[in-house]
Amino acid sequence: MNERGLALHVNAGAALVARGTDRLSRSDVHTRVNELAASFNARGVTRAMVVSDDPIDILRAIGAADATGADLFIAHTNLPTATIDEIAAQYGVQARIGETDTFIAVEAPAPSQRIYMMTSGTTGKPKIATHTLDALMSRARSSAKFSQTESKWLLTYQPTGFAGLQVQLTAVATHGVIVAPEQRTPGGFYAAARDNAVTQISGTPTFWRSFMMVARPEELALKQITLGGEAADQSTLDRLKAAFPAARITHMYASTEAGVVFAVHDGREGFPKAWLDTPPQGVALRIVDDLLQIKSANLMGGYLDQESQPLLNDGWLSTADRCEIVDDRVRILGRQDSTINVGGSKVYPLMVETFLLKQHGVLEARVFGVPNPVAGALVGAEIVFAPDQDHAEARARVLAACREGLASYQVPRVVKIVDQISVRESGKKGAS
Amino acid sequence: MTEDQILAEISKAITQIMSDKGLPAPTVTADTELLGGELPIDSLDLAMLVREMEERVGFDPFQDGFIDFRTAGEMAKLYVK
Repeated sequence: MNERGLALHVNAGAALVARGTDRLSRSDVHTRVNELAASFNARGVTRAMVVSDDPIDILRAIGAADATGADLFIAHTNLPTATIDEIAAQYGVQARIGETDTFIAVEAPAPSQRIYMMTSGTTGKPKIATHTLDALMSRARSSAKFSQTESKWLLTYQPTGFAGLQVQLTAVATHGVIVAPEQRTPGGFYAAARDNAVTQISGTPTFWRSFMMVARPEELALKQITLGGEAADQSTLDRLKAAFPAARITHMYASTEAGVVFAVHDGREGFPKAWLDTPPQGVALRIVDDLLQIKSANLMGGYLDQESQPLLNDGWLSTADRCEIVDDRVRILGRQDSTINVGGSKVYPLMVETFLLKQHGVLEARVFGVPNPVAGALVGAEIVFAPDQDHAEARARVLAACREGLASYQVPRVVKIVDQISVRESGKKGAS
Repeated sequence: MTEDQILAEISKAITQIMSDKGLPAPTVTADTELLGGELPIDSLDLAMLVREMEERVGFDPFQDGFIDFRTAGEMAKLYVK
């Protein structure tokens, strides 16, 4: 395919987005892109931000930014509104795309035709990764090589995160259909998959475990099942194979910086040890001090904030994933740092601790991962309240503040009110 | 604990999770499909429910991997020793 941008004019009559009873063709989305591009041009917009979970808004914003050369921020809808507003103000965003589009008359720097995406940072401030549409689309096309065209994709990931965007762009690149659920619950995902005859589902192992509890496999004709975001375990892989014997089952390892690092199709957890010598997908792999390191010619453009740049050593990028080699297989054991992987989403304990400490009546807080058979891990917290606090009232109030100000996966789910935080001899807060 | 007692614990745990979210207490019977759409439960709520039941009953039936269940009654059976 020798296309640039979203190329929605190609195969224009084909369906592109299905959401509830809405059906939009490539040409319908193309029309909306042109309308938005016209209003960018009329107002001289060089920096825009999309704040929406609707694939139609995300695609028309990407298309319009591409057509006019504007920069586009994709606001991760997991982030608190106040944080998104701060970023919009800080970077001089002139147009906000969503259910309604709003324009703000501010001075913006010259456009650099970049797409900026957000991930939660180690502290309260999100990291902003820079990409180009061409690089994102070429990744989408190359990932499409190992899937079929004319497919229907269930959008299980948050649409504004990297994995969610990847699914949308892959559907655009391969002339497939994006199926967006009306409700992001297991029941809502299943209804959307069944009603739209979805053929491809990519989700985290946590998604699959809960999806399998509501899905009637005989009602679905899945061709491709993909697991990503956290290490796929053998029992989940086996259950999927038994439920969907006709589907190809793939588990992937991807990073924000390098995209898809490898994809495994043999139904076994981990990856073949031989890949350490002969990398299968153009990304070299090695294990140093039990940690997986990767080297790719196709790294993303970097982060907007210098402090966020990952550590590179001779062009190798170290992940924090611990590995072990057993016979002919490399298994991924978990994170070496204190990061908690909750159903495929990274949680930084320090960020949640900082948030808890800001709440009235909280004297001390410790945040840690609690292993969980459904989600891999949950966020646990020990909280010390000031002596004048009523524990039940304070607990309810602090948890309500967490639900308001944190992403759902960041909210502490296993909460203990304690008199003091266990402190180890090293002076660090107790072991996680 | 008997199956009925465990079912009552499941109901209490779900009520707690709902009340933490500011939602009213649901009616949970053995036939209630936990993720089927009757209850506003997502996969993280389910994860919490499993954790809560481990605390209440004293063991984790999912130690060697996740086991499928659909209804509250099917879940209760997993905790009967």
